[in-house]
Amino acid sequence: MSRIETDHHDGTSDATPGGYEAQRRPGELVFGALMVIGSLVLLWNAYGISGFEALSAPGSVPMATTAVMVITSVIIFLHDLRLPRVAGETVARDILPGVVVIIALLLVAYGFLLRPLGFLPTSALFLIVSLKLLARRGWLWTVSISVGSLVLIWVIFRIIFTVLMPAGIVPEAELIQTFRNLFSGGQ
Amino acid sequence: METLLAFLTVFTQPELLLLVGLGTFAGVYVGAIPGLSVTMAVSILISFTFSWDVYPAISLMIGIFMGGVYGGSRTAILLNIPGAPSAIATALDGYPMAQRGEAGTAIGVTTVMSFFGGFLGIAVLALAAPVVSDFALKFQPRDYMLLAVLGILLVGSLSSGSLVKGIFAGALGIAIGAVGRDPLTFTERFTFDLSIMQSGISFIAVMIGMFGVSEALMQLHHVDKTAVRQKITRIVPSFGTIRKHLPLSLQTSTIGVIIGALPGTGGDIAALMAYDHAKRVTKKPERPFGQGAMEGLVAPETANNAAVGGAFIPMMTLGIPGDAVTAIMIGALFIHGLNPGPMLMIDQPDMFWFIVGALVSANFFMLLFGLTGIKLFTKIVEMPRAVLIPLIMLLSIVGAYAVNNSITDVYWMLGFGFFGYFMRHYGYPLGPVILGVILSRLLDDNWRRAIISEREDLGRFFHGIVTSPLSLVLFIAVILIFVSQTPLWARAKKKLLGDPAEEGTL
Repeated sequence: MSRIETDHHDGTSDATPGGYEAQRRPGELVFGALMVIGSLVLLWNAYGISGFEALSAPGSVPMATTAVMVITSVIIFLHDLRLPRVAGETVARDILPGVVVIIALLLVAYGFLLRPLGFLPTSALFLIVSLKLLARRGWLWTVSISVGSLVLIWVIFRIIFTVLMPAGIVPEAELIQTFRNLFSGGQ
Repeated sequence: METLLAFLTVFTQPELLLLVGLGTFAGVYVGAIPGLSVTMAVSILISFTFSWDVYPAISLMIGIFMGGVYGGSRTAILLNIPGAPSAIATALDGYPMAQRGEAGTAIGVTTVMSFFGGFLGIAVLALAAPVVSDFALKFQPRDYMLLAVLGILLVGSLSSGSLVKGIFAGALGIAIGAVGRDPLTFTERFTFDLSIMQSGISFIAVMIGMFGVSEALMQLHHVDKTAVRQKITRIVPSFGTIRKHLPLSLQTSTIGVIIGALPGTGGDIAALMAYDHAKRVTKKPERPFGQGAMEGLVAPETANNAAVGGAFIPMMTLGIPGDAVTAIMIGALFIHGLNPGPMLMIDQPDMFWFIVGALVSANFFMLLFGLTGIKLFTKIVEMPRAVLIPLIMLLSIVGAYAVNNSITDVYWMLGFGFFGYFMRHYGYPLGPVILGVILSRLLDDNWRRAIISEREDLGRFFHGIVTSPLSLVLFIAVILIFVSQTPLWARAKKKLLGDPAEEGTL
């Protein structure tokens, strides 16, 4: 089966998982080293579950799988070590460009603010900032698209699918009840 | 009679039919929009439908699955951007056809051929699954364990990447699945003495992170790419065109069903293999492959839709997912209190026949939506990625939170999203991680059952494998897959056959 290359070798699917076969991408060695260290930590932790107590012990499969992780990650690391680095690619441009870092930070901030602020204000903030950053359009367009799509998502998931999201500073339940009262004639 | 009633459930209940139709419609567009994959859509959807009854939830998911596998071909033809991985091969000849002004013909042929392939896949599912299920009742715990290992290995070996990375990813998935308290002894595993780890890691959070967030982050690299508009005229293909390609579509449908049925593989691999097959068997295409050969469209499109039915065979009969989407659907069935595997076919055959019925109706909806609504389609596909990506991220967060109303799941989801992003860049396949998480319990439980029944004696365990024909076949398959991917094997093959295959592929 021939390999079908993608624009940035970034893995569109499991049929084309990304990367290069005969070259090493920037940062690949660091990632490989971290996988080796992480696998060793997990193996040590797996050993601590039940040691070599018995083949049917709760730690036997975790030990076997983490041992496989250690072996494979070491093979991958040693293989990567021998490969030449791909020309013309940098971490800052091809692996972690500024836009990815900023959006990732926005996502983390979203995660931390979701509980205290609530779904609606956090989502509105996230959408406005990320749309402004990505689309580079005027404030009116950015705010109207953000708020419009947020209202649509809220109606679909909160009202139709009845998904409960953190209310935070917005009195969501009271608002919904007010609307219900309006449509049921106050009954 | 009961079988027929279960099969017809979706056709007799308008609400279910509507959900399949809605799902298929959404699936066609989800599949068509680059940056939105079917796996991502279904993984996000599972978190919103878990409170529903099982029939409506499954109806919607099946519609999205069937529609999404087909939908990817649209943008592959029109924009040379496969909307879904299963349409990668379709772009090779579809786009050159569009450049010649034959986009309508190409879309028409892919729609009809997808319908044909999808139908054949469902027929094989209906005929083969009960047989496989009866056979699966003879499986011993060690066979299930070997099957789980086989499934994880297959996904690594059949993808064009590295087997070692595939094995690493599969083992990582098993380790993630083991986090929390061991269900048999209540011992803590990989909890690092943290209370939030004791309940384990939600596999939905892992799925949404790996497939949703990582894919959305990846799309940020292409955020400035704009859609190219196309003029489309005639869509419905002529009977002569269909008849001419029927023999090839039969062959590639068969490839699709078989590849789809192999645990851990899916429509993307089926389509690439079918394209390869078409290139080999078509002696005189009207146009060369890669320059608008109709056969280059017929083969991948029949195969990827046939793989849908195929993927349900191991899922329904063995509880082993056929691909990433069926892995998620297994999760959906678990959430609804069902246990996919041979006992499901015996205890609840109506569920199986309901799924077959839903697939058939989704296939018809796909034909209907495929041949109509092209103007609406072009409008939606032209939606800028700058708007789409933040919305996907928002939906991913909502989806991860909604399952357990837990902010911890959101953190896990984001963590796996970032991790998956790097895995994609460095060529680690994500499918084995998800398969590992799903199969972790199956592998762990069956290993322990098998070894306890052999009185903790490894010698007796291996004796059991070599004396049972089924276990032996599975064991040899595991060994063969492993050995066939090693550089040593490649060197031996080259020496014996003069194979020009590249060496050193890990």
